[in-house]
Amino acid sequence: MKGKIKDLLNIYGVEGYVITTNKTMQIKIPSKYKTQNTKKQFRDLYKNITEEKERSGNIIEVYLEDVMVTIFINGSTIMMVLSKKGTNQAILRMTGKLVIAGLAKAKGK
Amino acid sequence: MNIDITGDIEQTRCPEIIKILSLGKRTGRLGLDNGGAAGNIFFADGRVVHANCGPIKGITAIYEMATWTSGEYAFFVDDTADSATIDMPVDNILSEVADRIRQMDRITSLIPSGEVVYTLDPDIKEKGIALKATQWRVLTYIDGTKSIADIANILGVALFDIMRIFYTLIKMGIIKEGHQDRTEKGELALSLPETPFIETLVKALTNAMGPICPIIIVETAQELDIDLTTDDVEKLASLIEILSSKIPKEDIALDFLKTMTDRLKLEEENR
Repeated sequence: MKGKIKDLLNIYGVEGYVITTNKTMQIKIPSKYKTQNTKKQFRDLYKNITEEKERSGNIIEVYLEDVMVTIFINGSTIMMVLSKKGTNQAILRMTGKLVIAGLAKAKGK
Repeated sequence: MNIDITGDIEQTRCPEIIKILSLGKRTGRLGLDNGGAAGNIFFADGRVVHANCGPIKGITAIYEMATWTSGEYAFFVDDTADSATIDMPVDNILSEVADRIRQMDRITSLIPSGEVVYTLDPDIKEKGIALKATQWRVLTYIDGTKSIADIANILGVALFDIMRIFYTLIKMGIIKEGHQDRTEKGELALSLPETPFIETLVKALTNAMGPICPIIIVETAQELDIDLTTDDVEKLASLIEILSSKIPKEDIALDFLKTMTDRLKLEEENR
């Protein structure tokens, strides 16, 4: 376990991710979830989350109809992971924490 | 050596016997035995001159025996003391004893006997607590296994005095009644299963949090209602997640998460 994106994608049921910073956005999600507005939607979501200063905790889980969105926050870096409902969410959260910590550390260098 | 008076302490308490022997200007030894402890009070022409109760000598020994509510007594005529530790009028002794009995009644309303075992109360409510040196000395012996009487014996202090300190500590909210299960080595009896997962967990968490980690694991598993022998990876992952959130330093928590995520993946592969 190195805490890389690859580790996250190796988890059963993980379908994709979006990594957003205040300047960049990396989208790797299946085409069935993509729309013309995908980038704008994620940017808006990023703004909403980072503008909220009072929130405690650094993981948000959103259950949608056929997909689970887990959002990891570390400072100005946000990672959203899409997974199937049968995915082991505890392992996903553990690995996600390691990945976002690695991303934040790399950004700080 | 003649026995002159005998009886039950339950019917005639120690202060009354002292009063009778004093008024009768008697010389001899009053022996008292409450079943668990024994002591003597020596009289010379009706004056109290010496007393002992286990390791306690002098007036404190009388205060101790005066609070006994059961047992037997016997007066041995002309059995004189080999030392004199008390030089106090009998009326003053009885007045002090009466005061102690009142205090003891108040104490026993909270502490039923010296056989009760107390443990430190982790849910302390006060923000700051100041202790006297004597209270601190007693507190260092309170471990959930020693009774009040045990601690009194260790410190060589009268049970009454120890119970008074316990009374104050209870009122402060520092201690509470209760046992802790301990092994023969005196360590907390924690039943951690000897599985590879638990062994890795203990090692990794000890590195992160120190030797207290087995207690934290057991408590967290109980809170989450997780059986530590389970091979349910999802449940074990929840346990790891909560445990990692209890590690104060983020980098150490991440190292712990790394180790345990690897271990969990192995568990998942072995299913």
